[in-house]
Amino acid sequence: MTQQREIIEELSQFIKKNQASEEEFNSLALHIFNYQYKHNLPYQTFCRQKGKTPRLVKNWRDIPYVPMSAFKEVPLTCSDPEAAVRVFMTSGTTQGKQGKHFHSTLEIRELSMIINFKERFMKETNRIRMGILFPTEEKMPHSSLAHYLALVMKEFGTEDSCYLLKENGVHIQKIISELEHAEKTGEPFALLGASFSFVHLFEELERLGKTFNLPKGSKILDSGGYKNKSKELDLNEFYQLLERYFGVDRSNCINMYGITELSTQFYDDGNEVVPSIKTGPSWIRTRVINPLTGEEVPEGERGVLVHYDLANFNSVMAVATEDVGMAVDEGFYLFGRVQGAEARGCSLAVEEFIQLAKGTAK
Amino acid sequence: MLASGRRVYSIGERNSKMRITAGYIPNIGETKFDKKILKFQDLEVELPLLTLEQMQRVIDTVKRESAEILKSLSVSTVVDIIGYVTEQFLDRSSSYRQQAEKLLPIVTGYDEEVIRLGLTSFLKTFRKHELQRFLVEDLGNPLLLDHFQPRAKGGFSKAIGPELITHVWAGNVPALPIWSFVSGLLVKAGNIGKVSSSEPLFAGWFAKALAEAEPSLANCFAVVWWKGGDEKREKMIFEKSNLVIGYGNNETLKALKKQVPITTRFLPFGHKVSFGIISKSALDAHKAWRIAHQAALDVIRYDQQGCYSPHLFYVQKGGKVSPVEFARLIAGELENFEKRYPRRKLSMEESVALASWRQKEEMSTFTETGKEVLGTSTHQWTVVFEEEEKVFTASPLNRVIRVISFEKLEDILPYIKPYRSFLQTIGMAATPKELFHWAELLANVGVTRITALGKMTSPEAGWHHDGRFNLLDLIQMVDIESSAIVDSEQFAPYVD
Repeated sequence: MTQQREIIEELSQFIKKNQASEEEFNSLALHIFNYQYKHNLPYQTFCRQKGKTPRLVKNWRDIPYVPMSAFKEVPLTCSDPEAAVRVFMTSGTTQGKQGKHFHSTLEIRELSMIINFKERFMKETNRIRMGILFPTEEKMPHSSLAHYLALVMKEFGTEDSCYLLKENGVHIQKIISELEHAEKTGEPFALLGASFSFVHLFEELERLGKTFNLPKGSKILDSGGYKNKSKELDLNEFYQLLERYFGVDRSNCINMYGITELSTQFYDDGNEVVPSIKTGPSWIRTRVINPLTGEEVPEGERGVLVHYDLANFNSVMAVATEDVGMAVDEGFYLFGRVQGAEARGCSLAVEEFIQLAKGTAK
Repeated sequence: MLASGRRVYSIGERNSKMRITAGYIPNIGETKFDKKILKFQDLEVELPLLTLEQMQRVIDTVKRESAEILKSLSVSTVVDIIGYVTEQFLDRSSSYRQQAEKLLPIVTGYDEEVIRLGLTSFLKTFRKHELQRFLVEDLGNPLLLDHFQPRAKGGFSKAIGPELITHVWAGNVPALPIWSFVSGLLVKAGNIGKVSSSEPLFAGWFAKALAEAEPSLANCFAVVWWKGGDEKREKMIFEKSNLVIGYGNNETLKALKKQVPITTRFLPFGHKVSFGIISKSALDAHKAWRIAHQAALDVIRYDQQGCYSPHLFYVQKGGKVSPVEFARLIAGELENFEKRYPRRKLSMEESVALASWRQKEEMSTFTETGKEVLGTSTHQWTVVFEEEEKVFTASPLNRVIRVISFEKLEDILPYIKPYRSFLQTIGMAATPKELFHWAELLANVGVTRITALGKMTSPEAGWHHDGRFNLLDLIQMVDIESSAIVDSEQFAPYVD
């Protein structure tokens, strides 16, 4: 059995069991770190520079984390990037460089998604009629969210589940007919998609003066924020509107927090109160750190989220985000992506400079 | 995820808040104003928030009184008054100075020592004899501001300051508004300044001290605040002004310019990039250390937030001390300074930007040979060394500096040139011959100031800010041509 196969087997067991003690998590984390140190050469150099090698690291918290931006700079993978079965990419950035997450197999990623989604979104339901407010995988082969939504529709959607977008936005007639169908038949309906697509949908429904009252058991899942793709809504307003337009209780409006650089997602248990607490399954852990010192901030203080996702076995398990959060007993609050730092004085800020450089390059 | 707007994450809230009032309003017959409270850690700053009608009265008052009183003073009297006020702010036993030393660190976040040193070095520029330098530098004969003066070409001229200058200040570099405020006073203009939310204090104190020093001037200026982008207000004020001086990034300036009518002049001061150049002739074992020390000083002063602060240092190859060794020397100096003059506490945004920038630089060392990233694990400062890096890039500031080696200055010029309109100061260590030769080359790509390392953040009195004039840009000249004088002779009662 190859070393990769061995890790996959071990991980599958771990994920299927879906409960782990600190020691169990630690032991597998160190095992994977060992593997990544050996096979992911840019990461190895990075660890060496930090003076942290598998010989010295005894606790998962000491495993060196890479910033999300590192995925833009070097191929962070334990296997040949050319041979990847799938590459997920982040959406464009100010510098125009996209982060790339190489997958040698989707086996673990999909297992992680399925088990976690079942537990956090489906719960006792096995299948539900779904409407997806996001492009298909074929349209966006490098979008991790497109892959996620396609997978959950395949695994948990009824046969009548469908996509509700068209070329240039939401397919409003189709959405209305789906929602009316649910209202008429009483069959629970799940609306899933990017947060900004919901905002566009609100605008359409407001224009048409339509609201719905979806049957009991209906749910909504949003993910990903707005990313300048729609107007920004205050969290509370967003969930108020979901409730108003679809008649789905805020406790059944779940937000999924996931990033391209990870293989596991976080969920909340509804959004009656915002911000809600996000939690993940047994194979992912999160620390909230001071980005400058790398040290954990005391509970109740804001810091940056660093995730240790065992399902990220082929890339780098420990990833530092640019998301601000706060640790609480059960999980963490997510306050959102840090905005670019402003210039404080009269010196040119890096962001401005980049804009400028792009301008002069034209 | 769904974050709304930009926020600064402050850590921990304490209960005992100190509140002070800021800004300066002349006597407009009322003293009750709406208030705007700006919060800084344990300090609340209360600024008057004027209605448009009150603002209108401030404008009328300042225009009228400065025309009647300030314009009737001789320029040497104005110099005396400003010089006197400056001395008060330099005197560490004065209440003004003590207030500044106590409150500016809270508001701006800079270390107390950094503020203390920065204030002194900055304010020295506005002592009486330096103010005289401002005047002579721009006007030659300062009496031009008082009376018609004979011109070499024949005829007479007088320099007239505007009725009203509106200053829109920006940023958190303490006391910086004084440059344009003092310039406005020297040309005897009425002045209204809008302070920035990140340093709303100093300009108001200066105005108050002026009024105390010379009570007759009390209604010749105002220091106010409004929310930037308040188009209605800006339009109204700018319409009444002869000159608007704006500071900020190009976006801000563009927005301001939109509100300025064609009959009002607009002087924009945008954000700038500055850097250092070190010749190999300055790099022997003995001198290199001193230069690294000076270079590090330029980096730590206000954590590079000034337009004259360095983003990077170009270091020539072939000296006894190599560029990479020089980078290490700067690193050592930054570490030493950190103990005595710690960096400002960074916001979450800045911390993340810095950490991710640094990590990205570290990652890139895997693929770029010769590159080094120097710093401590707490990221209090970072030095990145690059071998003949062909790119000219900005630093995220806050004590992050790039050192780039070069062979000939001519090699790096093409990379600097595209940023022409953003270039400002060069801190240079070179032989006199190199200094002048390089100055020629740099002048051609848009640099406007060359100074010694260690002096980057302290421009001389009378410098040409962004290549412009401090006073000449504010005034208008009135000429009496010789023909009028010759002609007038025939109408004199004593004409033969």
